[in-house]
Amino acid sequence: MNLTWPQPDPLPAPVRALFGQLRHAAEVRPVRCARGARLVHGEAGRERHGTRVRFSLCVHGEQLTRVRFRAYGCPYTLAACEWVALRLESSGEDLRLAVQTLGPPAEWAGALQIPPDRLGRLLVIEDALTAALNELASVPADNGMTESL
Amino acid sequence: MNDDAPVYLDYAATSPVDARVAAAMAECLTRAGTFGNPSSMHLHGRRARARVESARAQAAALIHVPPQQLVWTSGATESNNLAILGTARAAVRRGRHLVTVRTEHKSVIDSCHRLEHEGFRVTYLDTDGEGLLDPQQVRTALRDDTVLVSVMHANNEIGVLQDIEAIAAICRERGVPLHVDASQSAGKIAVDVERLGCELLSFTAHKIYGPKGIGALYVAQSRRAALQPLIFGGGHERGLRSGTLPVHQIVGFGVACELAMQSWQSDAVLCQRLRERLWSGLRGIDGALLNGHPTRRVPGILNVSFAGVEGESLLMGLTDLSVSTSSACNSDSDEPSYVLRALGRDSELAQSSLRFSVGRDSREQEVDLAIAAVTREVRRLRAVTP
Repeated sequence: MNLTWPQPDPLPAPVRALFGQLRHAAEVRPVRCARGARLVHGEAGRERHGTRVRFSLCVHGEQLTRVRFRAYGCPYTLAACEWVALRLESSGEDLRLAVQTLGPPAEWAGALQIPPDRLGRLLVIEDALTAALNELASVPADNGMTESL
Repeated sequence: MNDDAPVYLDYAATSPVDARVAAAMAECLTRAGTFGNPSSMHLHGRRARARVESARAQAAALIHVPPQQLVWTSGATESNNLAILGTARAAVRRGRHLVTVRTEHKSVIDSCHRLEHEGFRVTYLDTDGEGLLDPQQVRTALRDDTVLVSVMHANNEIGVLQDIEAIAAICRERGVPLHVDASQSAGKIAVDVERLGCELLSFTAHKIYGPKGIGALYVAQSRRAALQPLIFGGGHERGLRSGTLPVHQIVGFGVACELAMQSWQSDAVLCQRLRERLWSGLRGIDGALLNGHPTRRVPGILNVSFAGVEGESLLMGLTDLSVSTSSACNSDSDEPSYVLRALGRDSELAQSSLRFSVGRDSREQEVDLAIAAVTREVRRLRAVTP
């Protein structure tokens, strides 16, 4: 007999915890980037399709110093964005390396107990990160986006 | 219920069983009670049969029909299936065309889809932007080979009421039977079959503080021979629905109907007041849009879209409330409500809607808590949206 059903909460515990505390849900304001840092953005998805994600990343030299996101999507999407932002920001690594260290979305799903039918949402998050990496590659080190206040 | 339980505002999905209903049901379960099979000829069986027929009279009184014109079913889904499939299959020599509405309950839509697989044609009528069907559309849709029109009384998602009397008059002119799904109206507003003018009407117990698993189909005397059963084996319910009658559920349904007859008017006043209070609070949220006609509706259902907010996140963020979203939460397809789409809401708005439904036990404090919780969560989710 399955004594774990019905579960009191349809969201897995890691998702519920992250969804309830979206600490990294914001824009990185240019003034919060250190002098000489680059502010890059990466965006993917469309609201019409149920998921839209936008990352704002502060990169100083090659090092990632600040990660924020905004997202429209299901609780799994928002929780995964928060988890990704937390992991990236705390890595203190080069952005590319930090993204590589995250692993593929299937691994995020495993860590957060996200059901397989939501994997498509996580791919949108990955696409947003890829877009940020592409922008980073195309933006020179001193892009004039930072302010020295 | 303990104090930590979420506020229940989902009475359109189901209602708690009234304690008086539960007590009557309990009398029919154990050895000391009326546990017999109503088809048995011995005393136990006859006692059970008496309870079943008493309940039939109670249920029939709720919709103002003779008791012998009610058939017990497992609920409104089965009633709708029996009415639609049973009528169409029995009338196959006369025609293969049905008329219904895009905003009907899935049990009607899927029954029609089933018939399409069997070679029938179905005309799905559109409503206006407020969910109302122009009865003249029915007139236009009727054909010489139309064998049934099926239109719901109150919509389960948005609560709007269709003009059944006008539709019935048109059907009568053309000699086409009308089936009405009254799951969301019977026991909540006045439902008088003679006045409505339909030949078939579905209703169910669990929306009116009765048990789940029991419903009924009203079948006009003139239609009885023109209905093909779906379930065979014993010829119960005059051959229209075989199977041992669940006495406890039937008795519960009967008591629920009697209680509804006594209190539907005061319930309706309470529900309308609470619904208006709820909308009055929610309409202050930027981007809140009422779905469905503002006044032609059952008292207890309110459906609101919140522009720019994802429906499932909103629902999951409202841990203090038990309400429904129109979106398909468990599907990656994120298929928005077909009812709201039929009203012309775009997929984002359809996906961002919540259905609130109040009932006999709802209180002002609960409505106020709901307003505060929804306002807070919509703001939180909007703040994280790109």
